[in-house]
This record gives sequence, structure tokens and C-alpha cells, in this order.
Amino acid sequence: MILHRGRRVVAALLLSVMLLTTACAPTTPGRFDQAQKESTQQKRGQSVAKTATQGSEFNKFFPKASDGYQRVYTQEKKGFAEAKLKKGGKDIALLSISDTTSTPSAAAKFSNSTKKIGGYPAVEVGKTQTAILVGKYQVKALSRDPSFTASDRADWLENFNLDGLAKLK
Amino acid sequence: MGKSIVELVDQLPTGGLTVSMLKSLDFVAPGQWQNPVGFVNTIKTVTGEDDEDLIQQIGERAIYLFNDKSQGYQTALWLYQTVDATDRALGAAALANKVGEKIPLLGFLNSVTPKPDKAQTIDLTLKLVAELLAFCQINGIPGDSIGDFVASLGEYSGESLIRMVALVCVDGLIPLGPDFISKAISGINQTNPQELEQNSTFQNIKDVIPGNNASSKLNFIGESFDSVKGWMSGLVSANNLTPQKVVSNLQSFVDVADDKLDYLAAFLDVSTNYYEHTGTQTLAHRLIERAVAEI
Repeated sequence: MILHRGRRVVAALLLSVMLLTTACAPTTPGRFDQAQKESTQQKRGQSVAKTATQGSEFNKFFPKASDGYQRVYTQEKKGFAEAKLKKGGKDIALLSISDTTSTPSAAAKFSNSTKKIGGYPAVEVGKTQTAILVGKYQVKALSRDPSFTASDRADWLENFNLDGLAKLK
Repeated sequence: MGKSIVELVDQLPTGGLTVSMLKSLDFVAPGQWQNPVGFVNTIKTVTGEDDEDLIQQIGERAIYLFNDKSQGYQTALWLYQTVDATDRALGAAALANKVGEKIPLLGFLNSVTPKPDKAQTIDLTLKLVAELLAFCQINGIPGDSIGDFVASLGEYSGESLIRMVALVCVDGLIPLGPDFISKAISGINQTNPQELEQNSTFQNIKDVIPGNNASSKLNFIGESFDSVKGWMSGLVSANNLTPQKVVSNLQSFVDVADDKLDYLAAFLDVSTNYYEHTGTQTLAHRLIERAVAEI
């Protein structure tokens, strides 16, 4: 009898766990519905500003690879260029320049900045990123391996030709 | 407009024949491919971030970039889907109740027909051209940059690398044999523009292949294949790849005799969509990498 009741309790518990988890599951996919709706209502060209600088203009401002690092350019789009840093065949970090004309909130986050790197306002984003704002351009270093620390990110950001980039229109 | 990028990545299967096939090719590129699925999960894996607010921002930027047709990401996805979309329904229906079991190929010999070598060659070279064009669309370099593509093949990793491994093994070695590279080159040299026009995959993607007419597009296809033959033969020799070696690895999920390899190729062709599957993963990866850098 006691055993029987025990089983019923377990069954009731399992049922409620099941109901709880299935009831919660559908809320997760919905978090991007708004962005999906807004971005499909617009016409072509909504994600990158017409006036954004071509990505190919950015390449010459990236730091040169040294100390056993290898620099490999990956993406080059209007308003954006990115390269990865490799060491010993492994991806260690990403370096990027983007035009914030297309992403005003990206530039806005620097208004609270108290830190400077290379003379430009800097912020840490999340666990893996350090960003600086050079005129209208955001320059980022993103760790892709734990060995690449925040201080490495700051060093590599300083190695960009920041003053050259500041003069780019 | 079809599915959203969120749905596409969320709905990628975690099992089934395509996933089994790619996993069985892990011996060529050990540990390179973990079958990343789920949009949020991919954001976390690619960026190393777990803050929900940050994930939201990255996801939203990625969605905007994907839905902007001028950015080329949709064209790339369409290419991956189109070169894969041969008569897959046949295999899928036959396999519907077979998932998880080892599949004896003999039972399917009645429903699949091997393609002649020339059709197989055109398929192989078109898949390669689609990879090149999708690469250019995703990374933002001009659509005829064969040199840039070849240079970056050496940088391929993860889902992109396993896709190319599958191309060599499943669309090269198994149907055409150990000398598939020279066979494909002579096959494409002997193909005339009219024959190319009859190929349904070509009909579907010809507008995005550089060239003014079928003849110059055929030249571009030949040039593209010729420029990656070094990379392909390097992959084959580094891993001592032979049709038999590939098949013995595939035997974890399909039973096949050595003299039925052309049937195996046809069977895999109709029952898997590895280009679309890994192409969606590549696309999500690159979109997220750009999004996280831009926000």
C-alpha cells in the first residue's frame, strides 16, 4: 500500500516536471520573433547604411601579425572587415573594424566609457570582447581561446593604425 | 521568403542519415565537426558568451543581416540548398522508418539508379562551384575570385571542412573511383555547353555562375575544379583515401558490397543533404561572427 502510494507520488512528480518543462520550452524560440518581423518588413539594404565605408578600406589599418601569430582575413563586407589571429594552427582571436553608422547602439555604448586604449574610448563587452570607438568606427578584439586575455586584447587594439583610421572618411 | 535563420538552425536534425554519414567521415578530419544545432546554442558556441542580453543583441543583429538580401547570405544558403535538392524525397520516404537502424543497401537497389559518370562529374563540379560562389557571397569577395577561394580552402575548418571532405568522398571517390580527379577533369573537358544546359542543377544555379553563356560558364566550372585539384589530391593522399576505406567507415550505418559502390553513391545522393545541413551551419557561424563584432 505504502509502495503503491510512493509510486503515485513519483508519477505525479514526473508529470508535473514534464508539464513544467514543456510549458516553458515554447517561450525560448519567441525571443527573436520581433527582430524577425521588423527585419523582413523592410526592403533591401536595411542592415547596412548606404553611407557605410567599404570593408576593403579597413584592411590596411589592421595590425601586422608577429610573435608567432598568423593573421588571416575572413570577411570583408560594406561597413565591416574581420581577420582572425592564429597561433600554432589554432584560432586565438578575432580582430574587426565596423562602421557604426549602421548600428548606432554600438557607438552609444561608449558614452559611459571611463577607460581609454590608444587614446580612444574603450569598453569591455561580455567575457570575450574589448572594443574602442575611433570616430565612427568600432574596433574590436575578441578572444577565441582562454590564453588570449583582456590585456592581450588591449595590446592588439593599440597595434591597429588607429590615427590612420580616425582620418578615414 | 522561407524559414527564418532562427528556425533553420533550430530545426537542424541531430540524427538521421546525413548526420550519421558526416560523423562516419570524422576519420578524415578528426574532431572538426560536432554538428552544432540550435540558434542560441550556436551563438554561445561561436562567441563564448553566455550573457542573455548579449546573446539577444547578437541574435537580433544576425537576423537583420540574414534578412537583408543585399548581404548575400540568403544567396549562399540558396546555393547550398539547390545543389543538394536532387530527388531526395525518394530516399527520405524509403528511410522514414529506418532511422537508427543499420540499413541494408540491397533492398534499395530497385528504387535507386546510379548516374552515368558524366552526370556524376557535372554534379561534383557544380557542387564545388556552388561552394566557391557561396564562399564569395558569405565573405564578401567578388564572385569570380577563384584564387581567394583556393587560398582559403587551407583555412577551412569545422562544418566547412567536413562538407568538403564529404564532397571528395561521397561525390568523388565512391561514384568515380580512386582517380576521380582526372576522370572529372577529362569528363568536364568532354562536356559541351548543350549537355550542361540539360543538367537540372545547372539550370537552377546558372544565373549566379560567372559567364555570359553556357560555354563561358562551362569554362568557369572547369577552371574552378582545376584550381582545387591540388587541394583535393592533397586530402586524398594525406589520408590514404580510397573508395574501400571510405566505405568501410560508412559501414557503421549502411551495409554495402564493394561491387555496388555506384549504387551506394546514388543512395547517398537521394537520402542525404549534407551540403544544405553543413551549409546552414557555416552560414550561421559566419553571420554570428560578424554580428558579435558589430554590436
